[in-house]
Amino acid sequence: MKTRRDFIKAGLALGASLPLVANLEKLFAADAPAATAGVPAVPVAPKSILVAVRDGERAAMLDKAMAELGGMGAFVKKGQTVLVKPNIGWDSPPELGANTHPETVKRVVEMCQAAGAKSVSIFDNTCDQWQRAYADSGIEKVAKDTGAILVNGKDETLYRQVGIPNGKKLQTAKVHSLVLDSDVFVNVPVLKNHAGSRITACMKNLMGIIWDRQFYHRTDLHQCIADLLTLKKPTLNILDAYAPMVRNGPRGKSADDLVVMRTLLVSTDIVAMDAAGAKLLNLQPSDVRHIAIAAEMKLGTMDLEQVDVRRLKLA
Amino acid sequence: MPPKLLKWLRVVVAMAVLAALTAAFVDFRGLVPSWVGHRLAEIQFVPSLIALLTGASLSLAYVIIVIVTLAFGRIYCSAICPLGILQDVIIRLKQLLKRKSLPLPYSRPHNWLRQIFLWTTVVAVVTGGSGFALSLLDPYSNFGRIVSDIFRPLISLANNAAVGITDKFGWHGLFRVVPSWAGIGALMVPVFVLMLVVVLAMWRGRLYCNTVCPVGTLLGWLSQRAAFRLQNDQGACRKCAACLRACKAQCIDLRAGSIDFSRCVACYDCMGVCDQHGIKYRFAWARKAPISTPAPPATPDAVSDPQRRAFISKAIVGIAGAVGISRVLLADEKSPAGSAEKIQNFSPVICPPGSAGVERFIDRCTACHLCVSECPTGVLQPAFLDYGLLGLMKPCMDYRVAFCNFDCHRCGEVCPDGAIDLLDLAAKHLAKIGEAHFNKDKCVVVTNGTDCAACSEHCPTKAVTTIPYGNNLRLPSLNDDLCIGCGACEYACPVKPGKAITVTGLREHSIAKKLIEPKATLPKSTGDFPF
Repeated sequence: MKTRRDFIKAGLALGASLPLVANLEKLFAADAPAATAGVPAVPVAPKSILVAVRDGERAAMLDKAMAELGGMGAFVKKGQTVLVKPNIGWDSPPELGANTHPETVKRVVEMCQAAGAKSVSIFDNTCDQWQRAYADSGIEKVAKDTGAILVNGKDETLYRQVGIPNGKKLQTAKVHSLVLDSDVFVNVPVLKNHAGSRITACMKNLMGIIWDRQFYHRTDLHQCIADLLTLKKPTLNILDAYAPMVRNGPRGKSADDLVVMRTLLVSTDIVAMDAAGAKLLNLQPSDVRHIAIAAEMKLGTMDLEQVDVRRLKLA
Repeated sequence: MPPKLLKWLRVVVAMAVLAALTAAFVDFRGLVPSWVGHRLAEIQFVPSLIALLTGASLSLAYVIIVIVTLAFGRIYCSAICPLGILQDVIIRLKQLLKRKSLPLPYSRPHNWLRQIFLWTTVVAVVTGGSGFALSLLDPYSNFGRIVSDIFRPLISLANNAAVGITDKFGWHGLFRVVPSWAGIGALMVPVFVLMLVVVLAMWRGRLYCNTVCPVGTLLGWLSQRAAFRLQNDQGACRKCAACLRACKAQCIDLRAGSIDFSRCVACYDCMGVCDQHGIKYRFAWARKAPISTPAPPATPDAVSDPQRRAFISKAIVGIAGAVGISRVLLADEKSPAGSAEKIQNFSPVICPPGSAGVERFIDRCTACHLCVSECPTGVLQPAFLDYGLLGLMKPCMDYRVAFCNFDCHRCGEVCPDGAIDLLDLAAKHLAKIGEAHFNKDKCVVVTNGTDCAACSEHCPTKAVTTIPYGNNLRLPSLNDDLCIGCGACEYACPVKPGKAITVTGLREHSIAKKLIEPKATLPKSTGDFPF
């Protein structure tokens, strides 16, 4: 039975996620009867949905998760431009888990194309030399195989200075024009331990869409990570947790730093995603300050009790 | 072989060498495989000589060049040497621009100048300043620097201008790059040499090769004694002077009917224009010269001995002085002798992994800048006086620009003279070229009370990790034994001005320890979701 408090919480969660899920009305509509079953008189704000899949191969887990959300067509409309933003930070091969696995990225691109996307672009503002990172991560081959456009993340002229009026510490930043101009923005990070930010998942991955990362580090890493979300949130977040890096992150040293979990998370609620990611790495979401700050700023739901988690197992 | 074919064969080989080497030196996108630059650099005279002398590799190119020169003359100078070929291109362009080019008449050789430059180089090699003199005078290295330091950034700029156009047409094959300019100090030399080469080539053809270039002079000395030499066939020659107009070396004396083969660069242009077959390769080691030619007016041998000796001795004194001074300059940069071994091994400048140490590096490197061109991150930059005068223009690691890519040994792959050994990646991962120093008092975590760890994030060996600090913060922590000095931490550190973590070089490189950890097992799988 729903309490008044639950109503308020759910309402706040919806309010925070509305701007980015405007094209998801259908999805929520389908979900509405279940949510309102208890109290039919008042329309109830639905919870964020988080789909968690286990025990499958990467592409199969993604297929399962997206089917649960009504397919990629619920997010990508015919003729739209799509940006897929994986983590391609390091000159490191797929088996070391420092970057989003190419199989996951490839499946995402294919799904967007099948949904009728006009174009799919991929980029990251890498930490290591970008051409080597693109090539050795296997992402370059994904672009070649699928026809996605691989864009240089180290070209400063492609970034635009924008104001972030609701940011507390990050009030202006140079943001990649693909983020600002694409119709659909799909965030496809990999789950890792992180020396500074404790974990890197969906929110931290967005440091790769701004030009001056050092400003974050110099100012207040966690606050800046949360502040950027007030500018724009991804349409959809897909977290690759097949074999998360549990130590020596975010770069890692060897395959020994990984623990195989065969898990994939998908949600429009970026804070709920990172909260679930933290739990996968055996941390409390509130221990990761940028998650706590983002929840406090009403950018998503940290309390997974308040999230409609769909737990699916393939085996 | 028909004379015209010989000329065209030379042109084809020369253009192929020039095109491939230029591509390797311009290659800002990393499209040219590393073997292209390496192989073509390896067969150059000076790199090959250094590799042979230092035992860096069994480089036979040098021996082959000497043998070929002793057989047929300076084929190297027109077919293989990129600076020579570049001058031919300049001369050709001048001919195309000016329809009527004035013929260059025969001119006497400037033997005293040639001797100075040659002996300067020889003395420098003997006294241990080889790297310095060779880096200034080696024609291949001069060519490399001209293309790497001047042409490459200019072509990068042109590329960036083109990106705007191609993008409009929906073609995404091009992308913008950051033009890599050497510091003004290091840039002065290639700019001066380029101007000198252009002016001399426009004015007097291959004058540079026959006065300044020590390789040209040395090969000229051999060429003069070659088994087969180009000679003027007095019987066939009609003295039409077509060969004179074609000759870029001003070495055909038609009046005397002789060719100064020490200055002939074996371009075969004269053979290509002569309809009478008046210029032919003749065997010249026969007891009696088959062609009766009057003695050439001034071969190097004809220069009076006392004069030459004076020049040589002056050159020796001058060079020895220069070497001595620069040695002192270099020595001065050593930090004051301390008791700790670490302090003695300190170097203010960091040389690349595979170079083994600063001394060996500056002795062997001729500053051709092939590694500078090929370095994917751009961390290798030409030094100015960072190594001292002897190390002028030699590459050093500049962590303000970038850091050394962990899984990369491209500099070792391309280096032609053994200045940078090719370490396999496992060895390169442990090659310690410097050591990081952490200044906690400047660190953001301490001064700002917020998380950062950019240094640890970038550290490939986990020499920099983080430890709990204050209220749920993580503070960098350094393990010297694991640090290889790649500069990733220094580059990533956001503190300014002056970074909180910096790397200093080692004079003698060493081997870092390797962190070995058991396979991670936590968090243990429960077979279910933890949420």
